[in-house]
Amino acid sequence: MEGQASSVWTIEEGEVRKPGIVHVVMLALFTGIGIVVGTFGSLAVPIGFVSAFWPGQAVQSIGSIWYGWWGGIAAGLFPLISNSLSGSAPLPVSIAYLPANILQGMVAGWAFRRWKADPSLKDGRDWGIWILWGSLVPNAIGAAWGSTMLVAFGLITQAAQLTTFLGWFIGNTIPTIVLGSLVLKYVSPLVVRSKAFCKGYWA
Amino acid sequence: MIATATTGVNAAPARVPKARKTLLGHVPIESPLYQFHPVTRLIMFIFFGVIPLFIYLPEVNFLLLWVNMGIMRWGRVNINELRKYMPVIFTVAFFMFIVVVLAPGEDPSYTPLDVGPITIYYQPVFFAFAAYWRLIAMLFGTILYFSTNRERDMLVAMRSLRLPFIASYVVGLSIRSAGMFLEDFRTIREAEQARGLDTKAMRLRDQVKLYMMYLVPLFSIALRRADEISNALFARGYTLTGRVGGGGKRADYIRAQYKLRTRDWVLIVSMGLIFVATAIVQMRFGVFSIEYSPLNIYLKQLLGIPG
Repeated sequence: MEGQASSVWTIEEGEVRKPGIVHVVMLALFTGIGIVVGTFGSLAVPIGFVSAFWPGQAVQSIGSIWYGWWGGIAAGLFPLISNSLSGSAPLPVSIAYLPANILQGMVAGWAFRRWKADPSLKDGRDWGIWILWGSLVPNAIGAAWGSTMLVAFGLITQAAQLTTFLGWFIGNTIPTIVLGSLVLKYVSPLVVRSKAFCKGYWA
Repeated sequence: MIATATTGVNAAPARVPKARKTLLGHVPIESPLYQFHPVTRLIMFIFFGVIPLFIYLPEVNFLLLWVNMGIMRWGRVNINELRKYMPVIFTVAFFMFIVVVLAPGEDPSYTPLDVGPITIYYQPVFFAFAAYWRLIAMLFGTILYFSTNRERDMLVAMRSLRLPFIASYVVGLSIRSAGMFLEDFRTIREAEQARGLDTKAMRLRDQVKLYMMYLVPLFSIALRRADEISNALFARGYTLTGRVGGGGKRADYIRAQYKLRTRDWVLIVSMGLIFVATAIVQMRFGVFSIEYSPLNIYLKQLLGIPG
């Protein structure tokens, strides 16, 4: 099983991988998917600055697992647009979220490459890495940074930060686990065979 | 015979577009906003979207909100299309006020007020009130832009500001692809309905599950589309740098279609000056601080709160 999982990430002898226009196109298309999913999520169950159900985070984690830094860039880019379209956060606040969005996207990609987990979630170890590093850790980072930014922008008081953090964390983690697991399980086998899949961080 | 054939066939009258499909709706093509260059509209977006950051006075932010609405009306935006934001606008207010009621913080200088069975504190409640209008003013600045601009306008603005080809291409394609995915989503749903799927009869849990399952074909379509688009770009000689094969610069057709006029410069310089002046007077003198709010001063006098 280990051998099978590592084969997804292992570069074969003579295999040359370098970034190309297909990665840029995939970045743009993935950002488009993120815009749609993020906007729907923000409009569906809004509870203020945070959504009680924001599946956009699943797209962020999946993006970095499949496409490395291209997915990480998409994770930073699409909330700028989806937050604006859904009215959930104004542009300056969305820009302030940018570092956390990139980081919460990239954590999963880093963990899957670091521990050579299979994106198709084939065994318990893959599931464990996905739930911890693809869902819980990224959302804890995102919720901590996001609520801190809301305090910094003077949109909530310091006393309200913990309540906001909890709402954010729960509202993002549940859809990440549900939606992300489904997409990884059923779409990863197709993605790993495509040209745009990144075994490394850029190609 | 020939005469019959020529007189019998009439060319259909050319369709003249009457409205532009923007990112959030439709705006008549003769909207006065389109007399301005896309760069001017982008700078207007930054101006209205960012300036409330320096303004803590709820009165001024409320005024900014009305200015935004006024521009939308003047620009012939269908105000009814903004209804979709009503849930967000109300839930943000509800969330902000419920949070300051439940977690007001512990400051001995706060003034308690008894409202029925609950005790609230004046200072955090007024702070939330002011923050709410700041947020809404910023949001409407954003809504104004996305209600009146197409992805083409964004692209022209970015190209005119000399953003690298790759950056403007990614933003342009990602916004366009969002529209394509919505179209794909509709196609998948219609195909399911044609096969007899009745979502209304489904339980909520099954509806959520179905929504999740839509993403599987959407991702598969994206994979196929990425290959098609990248092959098409390669065939047309596009490179990541935006230069043509011989090393020269590619002609920028779309940017050449728009020209910055005097009215654009007047508006850009005016907005720039107002923005800088607002930032300076707030950061150096705190002119737009919450303490100077006439409503705050009035309420404090009414409730007998010192300071």
